[in-house]
Amino acid sequence: MGVTQKVIHDEYIEQLWYMKEQGEISIDFLKSAMPESFDEKVIEELFNFGLIDLSQNALIIKLTESGEAQARQLIRAHRLAERLIADVLGGGGDDLEKIACEFEHTVSGELVNSICTLLGHPKECPHGMPIPEGECCKLALKTELSLIVPLADLKLGESARIAYINCRNDQQIHKLEGLCIRPGVLVKLHQNYPTYVIECEGASIALDKEVIANICVWKNSMPAVEGANSKISDKKNNVKGLSKFFHLFKK
Amino acid sequence: MSIGFVGIQPPKKNANVMNDKIVSPSCLPDMNNLKKVAIIGLPNTGKTQIFNNLTGEYNIVANYPGTTIEMKRTVTRIEDQYYQIIDTPGLHCLYIHSEEEMAVRDMILSERPDIIVQCIDSSQYKQSFLLTAELLELETPMVLVLNAIDETARKGIWIDSVELERMLGIPVVESIALRGLGKEELKDAISRARQSTLDVKYGFQIESAINELTSALPFDLDFKHKIASLYLLNDPFVEKFLQKKYDAEKVLHVRTVFNKIRRQIKGNIRQGINDKRSQWVNNVTAAVVKKNRVVYKGFSHHFTNATRHPILGIPIFLFFMAIVYLSVVYVSGAIDKFITFAAVKPVTGFINSWSLPVFWNDLLIGPHGILTLGLFNAIGTVLPILSVFFFIFGCFEDSGYITNFTVLSKRIFEKIGIPGNAITSLVLGFGCKTMATLSTRQLTIYKEKFIAVFLIAFAIPCSAQLSISMAILARVGLSAFLIVLGVLIISEMGAGLILNKIIKGKSESSYIQVIPQMRFPSMRAVFIKTYYRIVSFLKEALPIFILSAAGLFIFDKVGLLNMTKQALTPMVVGWMGLPKDIIDVFLLALARREAAAGLILKMVDSGALNYIQSIVAVVVTTISFPCVANIIAIGKEMGWKTAVAMTTLIFAASFLLVGALNWILVLVVH
Repeated sequence: MGVTQKVIHDEYIEQLWYMKEQGEISIDFLKSAMPESFDEKVIEELFNFGLIDLSQNALIIKLTESGEAQARQLIRAHRLAERLIADVLGGGGDDLEKIACEFEHTVSGELVNSICTLLGHPKECPHGMPIPEGECCKLALKTELSLIVPLADLKLGESARIAYINCRNDQQIHKLEGLCIRPGVLVKLHQNYPTYVIECEGASIALDKEVIANICVWKNSMPAVEGANSKISDKKNNVKGLSKFFHLFKK
Repeated sequence: MSIGFVGIQPPKKNANVMNDKIVSPSCLPDMNNLKKVAIIGLPNTGKTQIFNNLTGEYNIVANYPGTTIEMKRTVTRIEDQYYQIIDTPGLHCLYIHSEEEMAVRDMILSERPDIIVQCIDSSQYKQSFLLTAELLELETPMVLVLNAIDETARKGIWIDSVELERMLGIPVVESIALRGLGKEELKDAISRARQSTLDVKYGFQIESAINELTSALPFDLDFKHKIASLYLLNDPFVEKFLQKKYDAEKVLHVRTVFNKIRRQIKGNIRQGINDKRSQWVNNVTAAVVKKNRVVYKGFSHHFTNATRHPILGIPIFLFFMAIVYLSVVYVSGAIDKFITFAAVKPVTGFINSWSLPVFWNDLLIGPHGILTLGLFNAIGTVLPILSVFFFIFGCFEDSGYITNFTVLSKRIFEKIGIPGNAITSLVLGFGCKTMATLSTRQLTIYKEKFIAVFLIAFAIPCSAQLSISMAILARVGLSAFLIVLGVLIISEMGAGLILNKIIKGKSESSYIQVIPQMRFPSMRAVFIKTYYRIVSFLKEALPIFILSAAGLFIFDKVGLLNMTKQALTPMVVGWMGLPKDIIDVFLLALARREAAAGLILKMVDSGALNYIQSIVAVVVTTISFPCVANIIAIGKEMGWKTAVAMTTLIFAASFLLVGALNWILVLVVH
């Protein structure tokens, strides 16, 4: 199987994963989602590889177990790449999508896990979509090199900038947002026993272990600078370099 | 209704209470022409103080989030216009987390206030501006109040209120509400209230989604834009709000359109909306807020940190408790002695000198006389103790200690099934159990709420009981005080542990609590608060003291009292080891706790109760059964079945517990 063919298959499998996230299973939906590139032949190939299940006269399309495993890896790589570019390198917009798309087809599972660890096992991509969990997340691996660490791991009195908040509970995230606990904001850890107390935008806020575990911060944040995301402008230049780096991977 | 201390204040039926200071009967305002002004803001930003300043009324204010539990309304006149001012409980954002906040949002959405006054704690301006961004979407004339501007200055922050006013296009006033500053400016601002010219733009994708959903909403609905955006955020209560007003078909239509839009939008709407709002706030603050680079944090900052430090916090807590104990015992003891010497003795002597017939003499100053057991008991014995306690508790409330204490004690409370969010309610139980029960409304998980309500009703003494019990036990000895304290703590924790095991259900609420910085309480504010609490005690309790004394007197004269005593002897004397006369106390306790406790105090003084009996008597009056107001509050929050079941359970448990305590003490002492 050639590289291009694999890339095409991957695109279909990814699309089927998105459909699964939205609870869609009809082949018509798939067609409308990829209006230009839809090809019956690819569906046949995927079916022959055992990656998809077709039923009801090929009107209903679903990933098989092995198809789902493959899609999982792809989505994971894609969304982690987005996180890496958005958080570490300060890229955004078109860069994000383009690089992530190239990235997902080329990297190995191990490298994906390393990036995940480096970023402190994020659970959502910059667009707020869930990143499938990997082995490294279950073990909550940490390394010296991790750029992003849980807020609870800071030393007392240490300040850091919030990188992202891993939280699927809408009510909780709205409450945190209302208190200005959001990405880009500088917080200081005041106390970790009997419960956690942080300082954020002039307010002292007490948090449970369960809540603070969701908040991840930059390990070596710059000292207090007014305005969020002030690091980003320095990072923009790195994006092109990174793009080249991924091209190397391709070869 | 704010946290009151003495009993329950029945919610006023007539919401439009006239403020008689301003409105004279001859010029009653036209009710239809009344403009509604809602005071809205984050918790603990001084809304009630502003309300008090505006209306000239008094409602309890304190330095912890959640002082105000229910909305309060009053009509007042500003220049020539009559306004209905509405004080509300704290609101984090219009996306709702709890029933308490829902009441505020429902009020806004269904009553459509004409003017919204947002109260802002200027030291937490960013959090407040996030709420401002949301309130602007309501397209209602607004006024911003930058409150506690003195504390902000001390923190090295300066907010350019003139520039803010220009930028937002709405009146902005500075205020130090606690000292009554900024009141006139606010009145003036209310008459100039306007809609803002600077609202948040959410970008093309989200705005068009909001517009599409807006056109699907029933056309006579107010605040369509805001409701549509809440819908997009998946707010769990907004659909319920629609269901209340419209038939199922219309609601279903909205849901179908919503589902369609939801599928079209890529990415996370919540994040998109929050990012834009946050950007808006950053733009505003960048233009109007200036900060010093070097700021001395000050004593209160360090002291606040120390009060919740796992080690330093404990001696501070003990120190505060010692202050409460010593002042309740000694200061009120001195006042008591003075009143006895200056009023009670002379009056008794004077009445004795009339040589009235026995019946009349007994009615006035006999053992069940309306003066002895009624007036003197209330004013001579109970009132001094209560006033001292009110004063000290008021200092604690205003200092902001209570919330810091919840952080310190969280682990212990969690062991007995009380989550962090409920600790404040429990601590408030030491003020008034009724109010504490009502404040459990903020708890969203049934199990946690049930345990909290039960524990508040069970072994926590309210201000009246606590302070008088302290005085009683101090006369018997410090060891007695410590024994009772131990017994109450053990029974409370035991009850919590058992309930936590028995009741099924997950308890995974998330504890996110803003902690107020402590400040030295303003003596003026504490005196005013104490004064109002004493007045409301006298108004509510004094008639009951006198009536119950008269009731007991008649009960005694017709011989029923003796019969009751005979009937209860095996239980009271046999099982609890108390003298027969303690039944007077129990009967009084049915009417009013403090009256009963006052009588125990007299019995201890006259030597009618020994060491063990005093301890047992105090425990039994503390946990025997909740007062009527508390039972009503339980019924309101949990349903009547539960209220009856809880009361019965508490009664049975206390009966067993007190008997057991008696026998253990007898074994140990002898």
